[in-house]
Amino acid sequence: MTDDAQTINALADEYVLGLLSPSEDMLFDALLTHDPALARQIGSLRDRMLPLDLSATPAPLPSDFPARVRGSLPTQDQGSPVAPPNAANRPNAPKNWVPRLIAASLVGAVVGFSGAGLRQAPTPTVVAVLVDANGVPQAVIDDYGNDTANVRFVADIAVPPDRTLQVWTLPSPEMGATSLGTLDRAAATELHFSDLPDPGAQQLYEVTLEPLGGSPTGRPTGPIIGKGFAASQI
Amino acid sequence: MREQDTAAVRADRLRHALVDCAAGRQTGIDAILDSEGGQLLGVARRLLGRHDLAEEALQDAMVQVWRKAAQFDAQTGSARGWVYAILRNRCLNILRDSKRLSVLSPTDLATLQEHRQQVVPTEGWEILAGQSRLRDCLHGLDGQSRHAILLAHVAGFSHAEISTRQDVPLGTIKSLIRRGLLALKECLS
Repeated sequence: MTDDAQTINALADEYVLGLLSPSEDMLFDALLTHDPALARQIGSLRDRMLPLDLSATPAPLPSDFPARVRGSLPTQDQGSPVAPPNAANRPNAPKNWVPRLIAASLVGAVVGFSGAGLRQAPTPTVVAVLVDANGVPQAVIDDYGNDTANVRFVADIAVPPDRTLQVWTLPSPEMGATSLGTLDRAAATELHFSDLPDPGAQQLYEVTLEPLGGSPTGRPTGPIIGKGFAASQI
Repeated sequence: MREQDTAAVRADRLRHALVDCAAGRQTGIDAILDSEGGQLLGVARRLLGRHDLAEEALQDAMVQVWRKAAQFDAQTGSARGWVYAILRNRCLNILRDSKRLSVLSPTDLATLQEHRQQVVPTEGWEILAGQSRLRDCLHGLDGQSRHAILLAHVAGFSHAEISTRQDVPLGTIKSLIRRGLLALKECLS
């Protein structure tokens, strides 16, 4: 077993126990939808740990509780059927590099190494997992402060030739959305910018699809590819 | 929970309830609450220590179950394990959301933490695992690993919180838990 596979296995156990950080947790959720074997491993440990949940003393539900829950249910979206979970096992399975990217992101987030591992990468000040409107992770931002950040993509994002991806953050309501850089394709990129305050927890990051060369107004104008809030790492 | 039902009948009912949820039928939610509601609320209550937070967590969890029901795959594990995992996740999010907890008064916050510290006893932990294979396997672990695993799963403590409580460095706690889980899985399989 490779080191990365071992790390993913160990993370799977910690995922069941509830020990992953929120950003790792979201990436793991995304990975599970692509990796049926890992999902079975998780399901198996989860079921075996279930006696711990069943030992809690039951608490009677208030009589109006089911009605309250029913009142808060959104309409089921029947328009976007979820891909069968076993899709990856089919002979004509689509390219499997998306789960590999997610796994690589997870391993990177945990061991804090990049490149060949000759030097230990600095710890980012914050990490944000950017999700689309359905909550599916699209990209991960590591913001190191000192006007440097990395963006990695964990989904298959097609960028038309006449469009540019643009990375944004909202350092404060007063400053408004501020560009961290533009990309012509969804590839891991180191971003350098200037004169932004060091990032903080709960800071908003997003990636939008803009006209070629970037937003003409200096503010996001195009559709949002993904957005998410930062989690502090220090 | 209906005690007279066999495990198989209950498992079947839960699977059907998730199919109903995925198809947009609210009777699915009623069936889950009817079968597991009291136990689910009990788990939330044990993790969160307060009835209002526990109800909030269960309500949010049921909305998540509703939204994600179409993604449930019976090949990967039981419907019951899946539903409890969603609830636990929601409870942990509340516990780790300092903004969410900041609305509590300092006294209430202290009571909540006090409650969580008493959830996992060092002596008599066996009650937490019932009469199960899990209990036998937990018995086989060294005391420190077992205690750390129970603090995480039953009381919802993070690595950092366990490290502080046990007065053991963070890295040591992480490896204690990893080693303990490996041994536990080997015993359970």
